[in-house]
Amino acid sequence: MDNSLYLSLVIIIMAVVTYPLRMLPATVFSKARFGRYMHRVLYIMPYTALTALVFPGVFSSVGSYHYAAVAGTAAALILSLFKTSLSVTVVLSVVVVYLVLVLF
Amino acid sequence: MKQNTKKARDPQTRGEFYLRGAKDSLPIVMGYIPVGIAFAVLSLSTGFDALQTFLMSFTVYSGAGQFLGVALAGSGAGLVAVAIGIAIINFRYFIMSLCVFARFKELSLLKRVGFSHLVTDETFAIFTTNDKKFVNMPYFLGLFTTSYIAWNTGTVLGILASKILPQTVTLSLGIALYALFIAIIVPGARASWRMALVIIGVAVSNSVLTMILTSEFGRSSASWSLVVTMVAGALIGALFIKAPDEDTLFSKSDEEKGAGGEVFKAGSGRTDKAPDSDMKLTGDGQ
Repeated sequence: MDNSLYLSLVIIIMAVVTYPLRMLPATVFSKARFGRYMHRVLYIMPYTALTALVFPGVFSSVGSYHYAAVAGTAAALILSLFKTSLSVTVVLSVVVVYLVLVLF
Repeated sequence: MKQNTKKARDPQTRGEFYLRGAKDSLPIVMGYIPVGIAFAVLSLSTGFDALQTFLMSFTVYSGAGQFLGVALAGSGAGLVAVAIGIAIINFRYFIMSLCVFARFKELSLLKRVGFSHLVTDETFAIFTTNDKKFVNMPYFLGLFTTSYIAWNTGTVLGILASKILPQTVTLSLGIALYALFIAIIVPGARASWRMALVIIGVAVSNSVLTMILTSEFGRSSASWSLVVTMVAGALIGALFIKAPDEDTLFSKSDEEKGAGGEVFKAGSGRTDKAPDSDMKLTGDGQ
């Protein structure tokens, strides 16, 4: 197969697989009524989902420079413990990672 | 977000709600632009051309999914493997979209079909952890479309800048989205020690399970661990963590929470986010 065609097919497949995953719960399954327990599950899910996305993925987010990723994670944790705004936390964490990469 | 909503005056008009949504998307924008740049640089170096790189961001709109797709294409993976890999890593959108549209009920079918494409980890996180008074169309549009534009803008910037940016910069940008996630999780953990317990449990068990699965079945199996731990964590947490609005929703004889219910909640801001204070236990021993 021609490489450019192959890459185009990869994109088409990615889009065709991803869209229904978002669309079906919004349409077909949206009539579902939730009880108290499911209501709680849906309330907690954002936090568990984000946590699972961060740990352990964050430690390999700076390529093979795990120590830089650890420094960036520590920066983000400390900044958000001090209730720094989301944007500032993001920018400063990137700066910390950059400085660690440059300095060490 | 918590402190923002308390300080700022609540929006009144449609325009003000739209602007608040756009403003709340700012941290997402700060994350998406650098990560979009990093994605485009990687995509171009893998062999995708500029148009393909842009179209992937436009049609797939999934950071983790696109990085996986580029990695798979780079290793010459079969198209079936690509489909399975993307389905696994993006399965979480199914649950997130369910949460978003369970919260945002009053929408026409056409809008659901169109706007469901804009559900991501980040837009979902902000929309579903924000106060109920921000569940309306202008706010939704401000938050979701600005984020989508930012992701595509980041991709275009990356295409344009791929020749110029030093590698250290693109590498550092890799932490951006994770920092955003951490900044959303930590306030939730601070508000309630039960939530903190669930969060730490998920972080540890996902790390351990990922390590076991990847050493046994290879890297792509890590996303199974992700789905299992996020669902299990929520199912277990729901046994002993109350949702802040569940009493207004379920204790009253009528759970139809129309305008009346929202006005009732509007004054409370997000102080009701500490479910610890008046916790009713249903499963303390869990």
